[in-house]
Amino acid sequence: MSATDTPFERAGDPYRVGRSRDWVSTGAGRGHVYATGHGEGGPASKRVIVGYGFWIFLLSDIVMFSAFFAAHAVLQTATAGGPSGRELFNLWSIVAQTAFLLVSSFTCGLSAVATEARNQLWTQVALLVTGLFGLGFLVLEGRDFAGMVMQGAGPDRSAFLSSLFAVVGLHGLHVSAGLLWLGTMMAQIFVKGFRADILRRLVCFNLFWHALDIIWVALFTVVYLIGLGR
Amino acid sequence: MSDETDRRDPGDVGPGFMDAAELTIREGIARYVIGFVLASLLTAASFYVLNTSLIWGPGIPVALIVLAIAQMGVHLVFFLHINTAPDNTNNVLALAFGVLIVALVIAGSLWIMDHLNQNMMPMHQMMQMQR
Amino acid sequence: MFGKLTWDAIPWNQPIPLVAGAVVVLAVFAVVIWVVLKGYLPYLWREWITSVDHKRIGVMYTLLGVIMLLRGFIDAIMMRSQQAIAFRAAGYLPPEHYDQIFSAHGTIMIFFAAMPIVIGLMNFVVPLQLGVRDVAFPTLNSTSFWLTATGALLVNLSLVIGEFARTGWLVYPPLSELPYSPGVGVDYYLWALLISGVGTLMTGINFVTTILKIRAPGMSYLRMTIFCWTALAANLLIVAAFPILTATLGMLALDRYLGFHFFTNDAGGNMMMFINLIWAWGHPEVYILVLPAFGIFSEVISTFSGKPLFNYRSMVAATMFICLVSYMVWLHHFFTMGAGADVNAFFGISTSIIAVGTGVKVYNWLFTMYGGRIRFTTPMLWSLGFLVTFTIGGMTGVLLAVPPADFLLHNSLFLVAHFHNVIIAGVVFAAFAGITYWFPKAFGFKLDEGWGKAAFWLSLLGFYVVFMPLYVAGLLGMTRRLQHYDVAAWRPWVLVAGIGIVIMMAAAACQVIQFVVSVRRRNELRDATGDPWDGRSLEWATTSPPPPFNFAVLPNVQGAEPYWGIKQRAIETQQLSPEPKYEPIEMPRNSPTGFITAFFCTMTGFALIWHIWWMVALGLLAAYAVFVWFAWRDAVEYSIPAEEVARYDRERRRAREQWLAQHGGQPA
Repeated sequence: MSATDTPFERAGDPYRVGRSRDWVSTGAGRGHVYATGHGEGGPASKRVIVGYGFWIFLLSDIVMFSAFFAAHAVLQTATAGGPSGRELFNLWSIVAQTAFLLVSSFTCGLSAVATEARNQLWTQVALLVTGLFGLGFLVLEGRDFAGMVMQGAGPDRSAFLSSLFAVVGLHGLHVSAGLLWLGTMMAQIFVKGFRADILRRLVCFNLFWHALDIIWVALFTVVYLIGLGR
Repeated sequence: MSDETDRRDPGDVGPGFMDAAELTIREGIARYVIGFVLASLLTAASFYVLNTSLIWGPGIPVALIVLAIAQMGVHLVFFLHINTAPDNTNNVLALAFGVLIVALVIAGSLWIMDHLNQNMMPMHQMMQMQR
Repeated sequence: MFGKLTWDAIPWNQPIPLVAGAVVVLAVFAVVIWVVLKGYLPYLWREWITSVDHKRIGVMYTLLGVIMLLRGFIDAIMMRSQQAIAFRAAGYLPPEHYDQIFSAHGTIMIFFAAMPIVIGLMNFVVPLQLGVRDVAFPTLNSTSFWLTATGALLVNLSLVIGEFARTGWLVYPPLSELPYSPGVGVDYYLWALLISGVGTLMTGINFVTTILKIRAPGMSYLRMTIFCWTALAANLLIVAAFPILTATLGMLALDRYLGFHFFTNDAGGNMMMFINLIWAWGHPEVYILVLPAFGIFSEVISTFSGKPLFNYRSMVAATMFICLVSYMVWLHHFFTMGAGADVNAFFGISTSIIAVGTGVKVYNWLFTMYGGRIRFTTPMLWSLGFLVTFTIGGMTGVLLAVPPADFLLHNSLFLVAHFHNVIIAGVVFAAFAGITYWFPKAFGFKLDEGWGKAAFWLSLLGFYVVFMPLYVAGLLGMTRRLQHYDVAAWRPWVLVAGIGIVIMMAAAACQVIQFVVSVRRRNELRDATGDPWDGRSLEWATTSPPPPFNFAVLPNVQGAEPYWGIKQRAIETQQLSPEPKYEPIEMPRNSPTGFITAFFCTMTGFALIWHIWWMVALGLLAAYAVFVWFAWRDAVEYSIPAEEVARYDRERRRAREQWLAQHGGQPA
């Protein structure tokens, strides 16, 4: 036993072969503090597993978005005599939506810091602000869509509009689902406190919310900004 | 089982949140603030580039895409904490795999569909183009 | 109130689906009533339906797949018999019905027979081979299975209520768009696949995480079995490809339900894009099926040759190579759509290149057998049949990869024969090899060898008699999906194929008899030690069937083929390694979440198909409520006390010591 031993080795079980209440699961083994890329330390900790699994899910979600992006890229000029992007897009609304989402991503990050400090009040405040900015984003987007439908430029007008509504709408759907999830998480933290499994879910929520902002970056660049140039 | 406790063991963290337990609150916030400022600057730049005469017209889409990639990078590093530490290797590999697939789907589809549209254009559309 | 649903949805005036549907409904009722009366329901609910154990889920997946294989096979019998008699005649199946049959045949075979069997085997075996207790997300695993079952249920429901798609198994637009398919058939297809696709995607995430993050101590990547490597590659492909399927079918659903114009004839829609996107999923899909099949053969061939797999590293390299390149070949499914010579050339070359990976694997299997002591058990026979038959199919594939050749053969029976060649020899043979190989591990007794061999030989013969004539008919110009034909030159070949299907029916009968006989004789066929085949990998270190926690103590892996090493040491020293220190083990609790979520998804899917909007809202709300209720759980795991773990393990050790004493070191 030396000073550099992990909690495992100190407890006499470098391979974590049994779990009881006294045991702490880590991603460690064989003297390494963290699971190395070779994974020789045995099964990783629950937090690593859950985080990685969610990361893979996000990548699959991004592939799904890429299929809708590809469709939009192909159909960008298929306006069928109807309105094109230049005639429809309200640039200031897009600026506002981008700003709202970016701020909400920032406040989501702040909530993660508050969670690390186990501060219930600031976590809830930061999450609430995140949700409000997310809601604002959805309201603006909804107004844009409603306006376009009113003008006769709904998704059934042309293939270009179909692909636009689909790819932007899919993102909006994800934001909506995220807000539902956020509300549920806020309730859970309030009722059950910072339990380990709830903390894992918060990590997943953070990953999800930041990923949505990344997708929005691609969206507003390709669909709106490049689309405006046509 | 660590489920009933929230004891913070340094090894028990998820990808991208590796060192979260070791940072002070100030350092944690600083990371997000820097990311937010950088992302805002890049976003503003995107909107600016749209109308400016600073960049040659046909090059604007390229500039926008470069700025978008930069923004995504800022998000990945500052908000999602992707780094090159050895325990992060799986995450980076997964990300690279995802990026590859997205590139293949989008670039492949664009290449294929462009050719198909050219070769299989309906006759009435071709005649319209002659006028 | 019930949307488009009326009593007319039941096919009163079509005798064949009416009778078939009635038989199935009666059979299902009979089984359910028998289960309830015998009092099995609490047991089934507790031990199977709400189970989150990968072993139970694996068995259920495989069972679902085998039953659907039978259903798809019946469709095949109908098609072959129709074609055999429909020379200058109408046959017995009207075109509207025949179209549904070939569409259902393809859909069921790929999505609800092959995928579940492959996923079921991966579910059962991978955690055991990795030396761990379960997959990364056990409740998610259960949900995946029940969502897949939902999809299967919806497709089968279309036989009794409504109709199925008449568009072929990939529902190409514009035929699948509303103007040309106004009925509910395409909607059944869409919702069945959109729902089960979510389940499959979750499986992909589950297994990628498990294989990369949850392995026994000491098991580095290059010490995993090849089956685990192929499972990793297949699940990476699932994660990368299934979202595209969801997206594309989602776009078609938007077209049909909300008047969008992705693939319509008018308003700028582009039908070619559907074909492009759907095959960007479709090609990785076939590799999702075949890579684990290759993994199964690697395990079986090395075990029954008594040798480690030849050149393990090149096998791994070939697997990952195939995984990567499978994403660069998809256009070969539509060479004839008109992308031009340059695009066709690129994809033709990449398709030929991907064959190299499989070639490496075939040579490695051959060299594994060379110099070994081969035991011709049923799984080994399936593998040998595969090696010969799949090679033929692969060669015809490389032939089709040449665009000018494909222009002649696209959508002919040559193509149909090619893909059945590779799927049957690859996936179906692997399914039977794997099921026979791992059956004793799952149930504690082997399958009867005699009937198994009979099933193999009849399947092999039947396959050749059905599909070799179809290659010839394809070369003579016969197109696929013909309800009737009048070219005399094709007739003899179609007739021979009709005879072949009868041979395959006999093979299927042998499989069923094999199962019944094995259950009857299970005490003679008992697997006492847990290692009936003298295996090499970790699953054979457990009892048959394994305890819920798989391993009392996670094995300490010190090299490749860890169990072989453990066994040889035991044989040399004539004793087992010392008894380990037993600790209590925490296992995940069972949960009805998967089943209940799937129930509400079935309700939502059915409501979407029939346009019963209030039911859609209700189903979605209920599914969300189930999710929140599950998330609110406090008791997530239960603990197995150390004494019980010790009891299980000491019994296992006693059996092994007995075997050691009896055999003095000779393999079973």
